[in-house]
Amino acid sequence: MAEQGAADLGNNNNNKPEASEGTIIKVTVKTPKDKEEIAIAEDASVTQFKEEISKRFKAKQDQLVLIFAGKILKDGDSLSQHGIKDGLTVHLVIKTAHNTSASSSTSNQGGNSTTSSPAANPITSLSHRLSPAGGFGDLASLAGLGMGSANFMELQQQMQRQLMSNPEMLSQIMENPLVQNMMSNPDLMRQMIMANPQMQQLMERNPEISHMLNNPELMRQTMELARNPAMMQEMMRNQDRALSNLESIPGGYNALRRMYTDIQEPMFSAAREQFGNNPFSALGGNSDSGAQPSRTENREPLPNPWGPPNSSNPSESGGGTTGSTSTSGATNPSVSNPLGVNPGSMFNSPGMQSLLQQISENPQLMQNMLSAPYMRSMMQSLAQNPELASQVMMNNPLFAGNPQLQEQFRSQLPIFLQQMQNPEALSVMANPRAMQALMQIQQGLQTLQTEAPGLMPSLMTSGIPGVPTGGAVPAENPASSPRNGTVRDHTHILKLPPYQTPEVRFQTQLDQLNAMGFINREANLQALIATGGDINAAIERLLGSQPS
Amino acid sequence: MAVQQHKFFRLLEELEEGQKGGGDGTVSWGLADDDDMMLTHWNGMIIGPAKTVYEGRIYSLKVDCGHRYPEYPPMVRFVNKINLTGVNSSTGAVDLKSVSALSRWKNSYNIKMVLQELRQHMMMKENSRLSQPPEGQVYSN
Repeated sequence: MAEQGAADLGNNNNNKPEASEGTIIKVTVKTPKDKEEIAIAEDASVTQFKEEISKRFKAKQDQLVLIFAGKILKDGDSLSQHGIKDGLTVHLVIKTAHNTSASSSTSNQGGNSTTSSPAANPITSLSHRLSPAGGFGDLASLAGLGMGSANFMELQQQMQRQLMSNPEMLSQIMENPLVQNMMSNPDLMRQMIMANPQMQQLMERNPEISHMLNNPELMRQTMELARNPAMMQEMMRNQDRALSNLESIPGGYNALRRMYTDIQEPMFSAAREQFGNNPFSALGGNSDSGAQPSRTENREPLPNPWGPPNSSNPSESGGGTTGSTSTSGATNPSVSNPLGVNPGSMFNSPGMQSLLQQISENPQLMQNMLSAPYMRSMMQSLAQNPELASQVMMNNPLFAGNPQLQEQFRSQLPIFLQQMQNPEALSVMANPRAMQALMQIQQGLQTLQTEAPGLMPSLMTSGIPGVPTGGAVPAENPASSPRNGTVRDHTHILKLPPYQTPEVRFQTQLDQLNAMGFINREANLQALIATGGDINAAIERLLGSQPS
Repeated sequence: MAVQQHKFFRLLEELEEGQKGGGDGTVSWGLADDDDMMLTHWNGMIIGPAKTVYEGRIYSLKVDCGHRYPEYPPMVRFVNKINLTGVNSSTGAVDLKSVSALSRWKNSYNIKMVLQELRQHMMMKENSRLSQPPEGQVYSN
């Protein structure tokens, strides 16, 4: 036995017990998350056992609570006293107040001032001195703080600075019992927020915020968020994603910006003053997240916020401006769509429509819109859901009041949508000059329509749904258009969502031309298109261009 | 006599399981007194579930398996003060009927289950947010 002891003493291996008198027994130490087998002397004391455990689980000894057979093992006891023998299991709880599951291998926060940054210390001392309910009101005890700063505001600022630079410290602070106590009390939080005069102003200006604050569910969620950095990240990611979606809608950016300046900024500065961290960044963008985010990171792909199901009631949109927060549409906000944006209603809103007009005036905007990666998937979902697309299109101002047009357009939708996905078409749209040309042609067509309505009945229907519908691409089944590249562009333009391909439309004329001896089908078609189906004019064109 | 033996072995099994750390580490149980030959007096321990007001606390209980156990449920009493429906606020005695899973006792139920179900009970909406007395207080009997 003594030899064993000597050998053991010389050995730094963690597996060997320190006090090595008596036989070694192997005891399993089990936490809800983890399990380790620890070898310890049979007659060791609980303290010694805890020393071993502290090493293995990387936790402080005084945080360890050992339970065996329903009893808490006190330091002064011995293992044998409790009947702990080889092969038995002891339960371990690592007390990091509010962290019930003993996180063995994960880093142990517990608010202990293990960091060197001075700001951490006040928190720990605070936890000993202040009662949670007192919040930060009890300045007297601050006198004992290591920082030597009697001014609490200064303290806070320093803390903030530290926090900003050291994210790990943030998580430490979060773990701290005082902070957590505070945060788990929604009433307290609300009081603190409201106490800030800036916030009060903000609340007056934006009743939504006060509504948000008064919603205990939301507060609780936010606080849980703040506590759980992984969840926090997830939320932020969702939010960023949703924001970027919004940004990609023309006008959405403006709305976003408005939202930010009205709400977020003052809120941020107010919140920053008080807390120095960003649990409220989520709050700021997240008015009324009704859904319960899960605690764990959501590894499923985010649902497509532009997905079809939301469009079921665009007429109910009532949702004033685009991108507005919880007041928009009837959609329930979900985690991935925190602003409760209902894409269907967004398109229908007057704001959107005016923006569509703006787009037509500003090709650059169009380009921006298109370049947003999300546009593509939106197109796809539009393509997949003709109903949504039709609703979107129907409410376009150009269509309003022209049911015939709508009908035609509706029937053309599938083709149209496919065309939208044609990258070439998209690149045309992205080209501002092309867009301008498109505009001009459209205007020309319109003039023509008013001047000579009988002349081009078909062109009228196809020409009008132009660019402003947010993507009225030169949509044409490429097979039917002439192969010539440059000409194709023009013909594409002219054939803006056609309800019939020119070939079909001009079938009779084509036949006639063929009968007359004009055998160049392509040239015929071009001519017919250029003249809008007027055979005589087409013949003249053909004669003019053809050498014979 | 055979019935008694049966009960005894049954309790013995529970004892063994308790010592081997049965369950998922959130409850623990064992004989209160090693000399207790009748295996009637037991200690139980429940670790307060996360995301409730009980989080971070360790609750000690006394479980008395009378001579009618396991046909009849044991008497369970909290040692640490707790605010939980079904628990007598002055004595800590647990009314098992208020715990839905235990309200209809079966003889296949055991101490582990009692403790686990009590823990589940803590997680129920009506309980998970009840304000709790400060840690460390015990019932005085």
